[in-house]
Amino acid sequence: MRSLQLLFVAVALLLACLVASLLALRGGAPWTEAVLLGLPLGLVYSAICIAARYPCRAAPLARTTAARIAGTHGAAAVLSAGAWLLIGSALSRILEAAPGFEGAARRFTEETPTFLVVGVLVYLLAVAVHYLVLALEAAREAEVRGVQARVLAREAELRALRAQVDPHFLFNSLNSISALTSQDPDAARRMCLLLAGFLRRSLALGSRERIALRDELALVADYLAIEKVRFAERVRVRQEVDEAALGCAVPPLLLQPLVENAVRHGVAQLLEGGTIAITARRLKERIALAIENPRDPERPTSRGEGVGLANVRDRLKSLYGDEAQATVRAGGDSFRVEITLPALEAPAAEVPGARAARAS
Amino acid sequence: MAGSASRLRAVIVDDEALARAALRKELQADTAIEVVGDCADGFAAVRAASELKPDLMLIDIQMPRLDGFEVLELIDPAIAVVFVTAHDEHAVRAFEVNAVDYLLKPVDPERLRGALDRARQRLHRGEPMPVQALAAAARPQGVPLARVLVRDGPQVHVIPADALDYIEAQDDYIAVHSGGKSFLKQQPIAAIEATLDPGRFVRIHRSYILNVDRLARIELYAKDSRVAILRDGTRLPLSRAGHARLKELL
Repeated sequence: MRSLQLLFVAVALLLACLVASLLALRGGAPWTEAVLLGLPLGLVYSAICIAARYPCRAAPLARTTAARIAGTHGAAAVLSAGAWLLIGSALSRILEAAPGFEGAARRFTEETPTFLVVGVLVYLLAVAVHYLVLALEAAREAEVRGVQARVLAREAELRALRAQVDPHFLFNSLNSISALTSQDPDAARRMCLLLAGFLRRSLALGSRERIALRDELALVADYLAIEKVRFAERVRVRQEVDEAALGCAVPPLLLQPLVENAVRHGVAQLLEGGTIAITARRLKERIALAIENPRDPERPTSRGEGVGLANVRDRLKSLYGDEAQATVRAGGDSFRVEITLPALEAPAAEVPGARAARAS
Repeated sequence: MAGSASRLRAVIVDDEALARAALRKELQADTAIEVVGDCADGFAAVRAASELKPDLMLIDIQMPRLDGFEVLELIDPAIAVVFVTAHDEHAVRAFEVNAVDYLLKPVDPERLRGALDRARQRLHRGEPMPVQALAAAARPQGVPLARVLVRDGPQVHVIPADALDYIEAQDDYIAVHSGGKSFLKQQPIAAIEATLDPGRFVRIHRSYILNVDRLARIELYAKDSRVAILRDGTRLPLSRAGHARLKELL
């Protein structure tokens, strides 16, 4: 608000100088008369020029035809300058009534054509400045929005990572290790290695923007190996993966949380367990991924079940916009999540953890 | 009930074989405890409770078919129950509010001994488990009951909320009517009313809760007294307040 007042006064003084100079130098008016007319006219036109922002905002350059812009602002310029001149002429007549200012009205009228041209030009200059300022503001706003979008995407990423290293999973794994230490020390040691490998790999992959589907599936395999120790034969896995899909890029930890849901809310809730089906298909420009698990039809869906899925949706949205979809098909005794993504080749970078795990 | 000198008879319930084995091993170190059974799911736990009549049950929360809280609801409240859980903030809060013992996985032998001591004291005092309070605290806020569990000897009936016709109070029990059958359960009618979806179940009378989907019509049979007629022809008394509540919902 303060800067607007300063702008108003500055423009008013500038215009006052212009008007006074024209009257004194071109019209031969005495300087007192020129200044006394120039000041009020400067104030009035400063207000008009600043108010020109509103018609500019109402007719944005990008969405208005050139003819309409020229028409709108041309007419506004002529009207503003005309009104300004009428005010000036009235003021000059009032001034003339005072002693010592004889001929002020005549001198002003003689300069009317000049003032009309000056009024129109100054108005159009103001319009140009307003459009420039509006464009700068729009650019800054777009930048802020862009930053916000990036922040949101990052947050979704972090939430996904937090959700992925699930404390239940860690505590249960530690419990299995604790049980194995006395029963089968070798198995306990193997389980420690599996858990360390899984954590190392998920940290390495999670810090990257995109990974190859091959690496994500390796992480899923690590995870399932741990759950197989815990649940024994209750967790079974069937995997059908197109060779051509393996090199495609996916966001890291896209499938692992969904497979974890399939274990936790699916087969772990079944006495006899069940088979988790993981499929990946390459369809020309897209890849189609699916995780399917059986579930207990008698059991109400539990809280937290939707969280992993919401994370996946958020991440897909922020990374691919409308180019990726995640859909859920929930039957009475089965649950299936399908994801389709654009098929892009993954960068060739190899994850150190992955190589070590494969070599072992 | 075990006398203070005799050994405590314990049942272990966990769906993971490794977790059961670990607990069994720890319990075997305690000569005052005899492990009489172990179960891999909630139904088996309910059966074991009724057939083996243990003094003590160590039970996991997350299990197939029935969870630990549901099992507690179905067994004799005189059995001292110690919950064993990996990590569930919600459940842990329920335990802390209701002074019930719980162990976190992996189980610390020291904490297990403490829990066993407290279980002995609970048995010695003849203090029953706070079943209703615990079940209410353990349920997530604002989530209505999805199914009613009723025990019939060692058997458990699972009645989905959709399948409930009406519930009738009978002294300390409720009779749960579903599809022409009725199941008796020890629970105050107000307690089950509080857990049902208030958008579908209405207390139409001091002794009756009705599933509004089952209502066919309301009949006036004497001055100021009405009956609710269900689709299957059952007639239930409707109190004045009950009629008001029913009208408000419809």
